[in-house]
Amino acid sequence: MKPEQPVEQPLSLNMNPYSGTWNKAAAAHLLRRTMFGATNQQILDAVSNGMNATVNSLLQIPAVDLPLTYDAGEGIAAPGSTWINSVYPTDVAANQATETARIKSLGAWMMKRLNSPTLSIAEKMCLFWQNHFAATAASDSRATYLYHMLIRNHALGNFKQFVKDMTIDPTMLIFLNGATNFNFSPNENYARELLELYTVGKGPQIATGDYTNYTEDDVAAGAKILTGWTVLGLRSDSITVPYAQFFPTAHENSDKTLSYHFNNTVIPNADENEYANYIDVIFQQDAVAHFICKEIYRYFVNYDLTADVTTNVIPVMAQTFIDNNYEILPVMDQLLKSEHFYDLSLRGSLIRSPLEMVFGMFNATSSSPNFDLATDSDMYLSLYWIAETMGQAYATPPSVAGWSAYYQAPAFSKLWVNATHIKTRFDISTYITILTGIPVNGNFLKINALGFLNGLSNPSNSTAVISDMCEVFCPKTINGVQQATLKAILINGVGATAEGAWTQQYLQYIGGDTSLESAINNRVQLTLSRLFKMPEFQTI
Amino acid sequence: MKRRNFVKNISLASVAAPFVLKDINFQAIQKKLFNVSKSAEDRVLVIIRLNGGNDGLNTVIPLNSYDNLMVHRANVMLPETSILQITPGLGLHPTMTGMRDMFTAGKLSIVQNVGYPEQNRSHFRSMDIWSSGSLDPQETRGWLGRQFDNDYPNYPADYPNATYPDPFAISMGYEVSSTCQGLMANFSHAINDPFSTSNLLTANIVNDGTYFGSHMEYLATLIDQTNAYGDQINTAANAGTTLSTLYDTNNPIAVQLRYVAQMISGGLKTKVYILNINGFDTHDAQVNATDTTLGTHRDLLKTLSDAVAAFQDDLMLLNLESRVAGMTFSEFGRQIASNGSKGTDHGDAAPMFLFGACINAGIVGPDPVIDAAIDVQVGVPMQIDFRDMYASILKDWFEVPASEVQSIFDHTVNFYQVLGACNVGLEEQEFEKESVLIFPNPAVSYTTIRLKTENEWVTIEVLDLDGRIIKEVADSNMDQGTHLIQFEIGDLTPGQYIVTVKKRSGFKRVKLMKVK
Repeated sequence: MKPEQPVEQPLSLNMNPYSGTWNKAAAAHLLRRTMFGATNQQILDAVSNGMNATVNSLLQIPAVDLPLTYDAGEGIAAPGSTWINSVYPTDVAANQATETARIKSLGAWMMKRLNSPTLSIAEKMCLFWQNHFAATAASDSRATYLYHMLIRNHALGNFKQFVKDMTIDPTMLIFLNGATNFNFSPNENYARELLELYTVGKGPQIATGDYTNYTEDDVAAGAKILTGWTVLGLRSDSITVPYAQFFPTAHENSDKTLSYHFNNTVIPNADENEYANYIDVIFQQDAVAHFICKEIYRYFVNYDLTADVTTNVIPVMAQTFIDNNYEILPVMDQLLKSEHFYDLSLRGSLIRSPLEMVFGMFNATSSSPNFDLATDSDMYLSLYWIAETMGQAYATPPSVAGWSAYYQAPAFSKLWVNATHIKTRFDISTYITILTGIPVNGNFLKINALGFLNGLSNPSNSTAVISDMCEVFCPKTINGVQQATLKAILINGVGATAEGAWTQQYLQYIGGDTSLESAINNRVQLTLSRLFKMPEFQTI
Repeated sequence: MKRRNFVKNISLASVAAPFVLKDINFQAIQKKLFNVSKSAEDRVLVIIRLNGGNDGLNTVIPLNSYDNLMVHRANVMLPETSILQITPGLGLHPTMTGMRDMFTAGKLSIVQNVGYPEQNRSHFRSMDIWSSGSLDPQETRGWLGRQFDNDYPNYPADYPNATYPDPFAISMGYEVSSTCQGLMANFSHAINDPFSTSNLLTANIVNDGTYFGSHMEYLATLIDQTNAYGDQINTAANAGTTLSTLYDTNNPIAVQLRYVAQMISGGLKTKVYILNINGFDTHDAQVNATDTTLGTHRDLLKTLSDAVAAFQDDLMLLNLESRVAGMTFSEFGRQIASNGSKGTDHGDAAPMFLFGACINAGIVGPDPVIDAAIDVQVGVPMQIDFRDMYASILKDWFEVPASEVQSIFDHTVNFYQVLGACNVGLEEQEFEKESVLIFPNPAVSYTTIRLKTENEWVTIEVLDLDGRIIKEVADSNMDQGTHLIQFEIGDLTPGQYIVTVKKRSGFKRVKLMKVK
């Protein structure tokens, strides 16, 4: 086995607009990195619309439906209506039953969002921030909902404001103990992560308690600055929305002096505005821009921050971030239109996360549950647990640093796949293609194989079918042996006779001979089942 | 009398043949660390990670500082009467009855105040440090991964093979362990259930030299390995057995340790098993609002203690005790002062547990001393470097030559004898650093204790397995140096005893076997 590094260097480190060939492979690359699976038609549309128009469309965040009540345990909000502004029952057992029903509704809501057919970076961006802030679900699903909507509303907005709002978000206040951080007993959990993980990032330890961009004393000072906040209304039988409340008497009123990393700035008492003043000081360090841009790069482009990339790409992105007063959209716009982003050597440089793997199969085939609300919701919840089994539960990242595959050197996205996970990946792909599908209330969620086939460029030509399939699902042209394997499965044979038989069968079927539908569906299912088990499919 | 005749392992002592074998093996120093050819003597290390930073001060409680701890952390303190006292100055959390019994039986040791210089209080950086066994932020390999790399430089290419058919390490659960990260691949194989493995479709892959190509090769190799290792694991699990009735099926660590026992007894030649317990980051509600002996931290310690005790019981029943040893680790301890949320924040050093029949039983390092007045944010200061524990385990347990051990660490290693109780035939110099030695052992009428002391008061007692004092050997001030104290044991009933050495510089427990 060859060493991981050095692998082929990027041909281009240029962050100027890409002016190379705009073909299906380039468009598919863009959509693979910005969405959880695009259809053949979406890729073709991107080719004809051109790069600029496609990126401009992607960088819009569409509205999202509300989570709806479907589980009988809810008890308060009516079935089919939302519970996000509804109180909880007074009775303890009923209160818990309501919360269980809301958790289920919320989990289904998250997965339904990922299953959206809209061309947008929204969901990829939201998962990026969910990994960045990595708060685990609160005990009150209304608070969890608010947190996820906060992420969505800021996903391409102003990062400085985002951090400010996140600092006093109820779910975050609970997650990192900001809600129990008081002047008489400071809790430094949030203050530490605010610096280490959310803004300037932790650099090498250059002296005792000094991490290049901040010190232990800054953590202690930050904890005092943030004292006085708590969360009210959790699981309340009278308050319809939990909220953050500031208590001046629980706030540390003394001056807080930051270290030399922040020019020894003194933060005087400013009560409920003090956290925002502190965050303004933090953002005076350009390290914030560099830290976040590296994270964006690792998530959207490549896990490997080579010396060349660190020298030539990250500073350009960071400067854009700073010049635009920490607006996120211009950074993404520049990145997704850059020559570097489309470099061939970066195609397939990331292994699919579990969510990318699951929704890559469903979205690219336009497959989604379409039964009643309860059935659809439970199907989405099944997808939630399937992704959880493979290591990516959307609402509960494993730690405050997020998922290790996004940050842990040297393996990074390879961590998504090990002996346990690869087996689960294979099992689920078999289940939703050639087996029953995901069963709920007597209905089954499967891949829409026939619909997928009919949406390809030339379904009657088996060579074109395999070619389209590979372009939709695999980041690079797959080798001849693999292609031949897939084609043999599709046409149930090899050679011109079998190819001709496929063409004839398909034309007959599309001409109205429904007796052939099941057989053709079956061939496509078998082919997809095999494709989903090829290593090529496991990358994006 | 030559040191190599001092037999410390009872089970080997009754049979003459293993002596010879052991000596031959010892001389064959060139053998690879994780050589898997000598099946009966294969040793296994079980590592349990306490993820999140375990509160050492509520796990192993320094009783002499109880009053001062009450000053700093009253809202999480355990009632003094509830603590399970194990030495004059130490007690375990009341839920840890299983591990307390192991301590009494000489199968648990506690290394105190373990950490590293300039403690980093970030979970991630500190876990990296503990996993890599290095303070160098550029070090991406794990401490075991580096040793595996030395022995198997081409891994994973051409593995498994006829000589090495089994995974070198197994990580129980869904994730591989960063302790086993090597240059090219992680040496640990993640499995959730050894009875459920399957054959995966293999692929025809070419590495084109790009990132994509490297992923293709990684995945194709992984699939091949998963198939091959899966067969081995499945075969072993089915061939193996488990005998203890103490496993609680609702305890996830107990379930995993039972799988480990089953795989070992079934002949799997894996050298390292890694388990993980999440949830030790107890910033709030570490204890119950009304009863501090209950709560999150208690549940976690109960999970650990019950599971380890059941596992040790199983190993004894399976006659595997001399082959298996275990250790725990956590990325840091917690601050001395608690916070207002009935929790504790990230701190510094903490105790580490070693378990098994081959440990050098006792307490390593002095009890933490907590002052009445402390600075804010302060943790327990580090006194023993965790990297020295890793190094000592490699040397004692896997018999890696000291120079080779040193080569995988970037600090100057200081060896402790922690897992050497089953070793025989060690060279004289290997005992230099051991502070207490009893010879002969087993013994008939007289035995001799050798110990090193500072200028300090020393109390030596012989206890039975119920902790009753059977004999007082010494209770006096001793000069600095090495002392040889012979004492009579002809009047003792044949059986197993514990000799305790109490002195300011460290509390030691050594097993003594009295025979007819």
